[in-house]
Amino acid sequence: MLESLLGQRGSRFVRGLLGIMLTLAIWQMLAWLDLINAVLLPSPLTVWGAIVDSLSDGSLIRHIVASMERVVVGVLLAAIVGLTLGVLLGRSSIIAEYCKPIIEALRPIPPIAWTPLAILWFGIGNAPSYFLVFIGAVFPVFISTYSAVRNIERTQINAALCLGATPAMLVRDVLIPGALPVIFPGLRIALGVGWMCVVAAELIAAQSGLGYMIQQSRLLLQTHFVVAGMIAIGVIGFAMNALMTILERKLVPWQESSRAT
Amino acid sequence: MSQLEIEGVCKEFPLRGGKGSLTVLEDVNLSIEAGELIVLLGPSGCGKSTLLNAIAGFNPPTRGTIQHDGVAVTRPDKRRTVVFQDYALFPWMTVQKNVEFGLKAQGVPEAQRAATARSHIELVKLKGFEDRYPYEISGGMKQRAAIARALAPSPDILLMDEPFGALDAQTRVLLQEELARIVAEMRCTVIFVTHSIEEAVFLADRVIVMSAHPGRVHSIHPVALPRPRNSETRALPEFIELTQNLWEALKPTWDQASTGQD
Ligand SMILES: Nc1ncnc2c1ncn2[C@@H]1O[C@H](COP(=O)(O)OP(=O)(O)O)[C@@H](O)[C@H]1O
Ligand SMILES: [Mg+2]
Repeated sequence: MLESLLGQRGSRFVRGLLGIMLTLAIWQMLAWLDLINAVLLPSPLTVWGAIVDSLSDGSLIRHIVASMERVVVGVLLAAIVGLTLGVLLGRSSIIAEYCKPIIEALRPIPPIAWTPLAILWFGIGNAPSYFLVFIGAVFPVFISTYSAVRNIERTQINAALCLGATPAMLVRDVLIPGALPVIFPGLRIALGVGWMCVVAAELIAAQSGLGYMIQQSRLLLQTHFVVAGMIAIGVIGFAMNALMTILERKLVPWQESSRAT
Repeated sequence: MSQLEIEGVCKEFPLRGGKGSLTVLEDVNLSIEAGELIVLLGPSGCGKSTLLNAIAGFNPPTRGTIQHDGVAVTRPDKRRTVVFQDYALFPWMTVQKNVEFGLKAQGVPEAQRAATARSHIELVKLKGFEDRYPYEISGGMKQRAAIARALAPSPDILLMDEPFGALDAQTRVLLQEELARIVAEMRCTVIFVTHSIEEAVFLADRVIVMSAHPGRVHSIHPVALPRPRNSETRALPEFIELTQNLWEALKPTWDQASTGQD
């Protein structure tokens, strides 16, 4: 019935929406019936109230802006370093032999495990968050760039060389765009990891941001603000991923062909 | 002195496992004059691409020398551009930007390189497709674009490695005729690799036949068919006779290449 009314995509969307609403309704019902402890898990309406309150006094936006600024700075640094290392190691197997073991040894360490060092080195403020986001984001960018550069068609590189491409032109006009279809998913993952890292960093090592907000709210037993902050984290993470997907379609249009075949 | 001098060229590839090596080219000697259309003809695996890559400067020979205007070839150079079987167009650039690539590398100003590229796009009859991406055009058109890209920087020598090998038979015949016309107009030397005897005879001033295991120059056959070459060329008795003779001469080496027996 839904399909005939809305088509396949429309009905999938409506079903998803109904699922969320039903969950919220049951949750709210259980809260009204006093079956859930309001301190441990506030009801949807209380959370909604917390979202409206923190939006109207500007605090939520302030925290969101603080977190996003840290992610952007950390991911940008990671992109610069990851791309450079990826291209360098992808092109020179000698440099790769020197650097790969160190990189592979550092890579499995969860970014959170760097938090104590980050605080020791950078104190409390923006710097440890930049650092932790960087640590989380740099490996996905590096790995995707490295493998993409290594897998570029040999004949495309040869074509560029015989046409007289300078090293700068080879990197800018051939290696980077040629690797972009693989780099982009890496950047998307980097942004996602960076977003998780910033929240983790702010739980301990910051005076602002969404992570700081939920940590403070927990200390004050304002669970509804904790959940409001969590929802903001989820929504923004989702939006950033969607934005990257749109950007990818725009920047890598030639990929459409290989998606189709 | 000829434009391209190939002397005693050998190419060995190390075998996997590090024991010994595979000799792919053995003592290849050739002199190629400016403006000649040379076809390298031989069964697959006889080392045609290896020789062409050595001439391009992608993969230097193990022994022997290749000289272009008296200077040893050690690396790729814009005076020797290449057209590949898989086109190797840059998928992230439009046809126009692909053709401009070599000019951009030379630092030609933007307006001038756009104009030069357009005239080469016209030469290969792709006018109207400048703003298409490679995935938006057919295989035959891709190869036309790749030829325009290789010709735009005005190379001395155009190297072509089975450029029409991936195309259907009709497109292939059409492009052979186009190439004959384009090359006559551009007056550059062409070294064209193929394993099709008809294609070789249709295009060549000289056909260099190669034999396999290891790759050597087997024999050299001048083709004295009149130019311009076009669809009528294929109907000439000389064309048919030459094709037949070449096939008779080559059968033994071809046989040997396909069965792998010496
Ligand atoms: N990089 C390489 N390493 C090892 N063997 C190679 C390499 N390139 C080519 N060969 C071998 O050299 C022979 C000739 O190859 P190629 O020049 O591509 O032949 P053709 O172009 O005439 O088909 C083949 O047997 C191939 O396996
Ligand atoms: Mg080949």
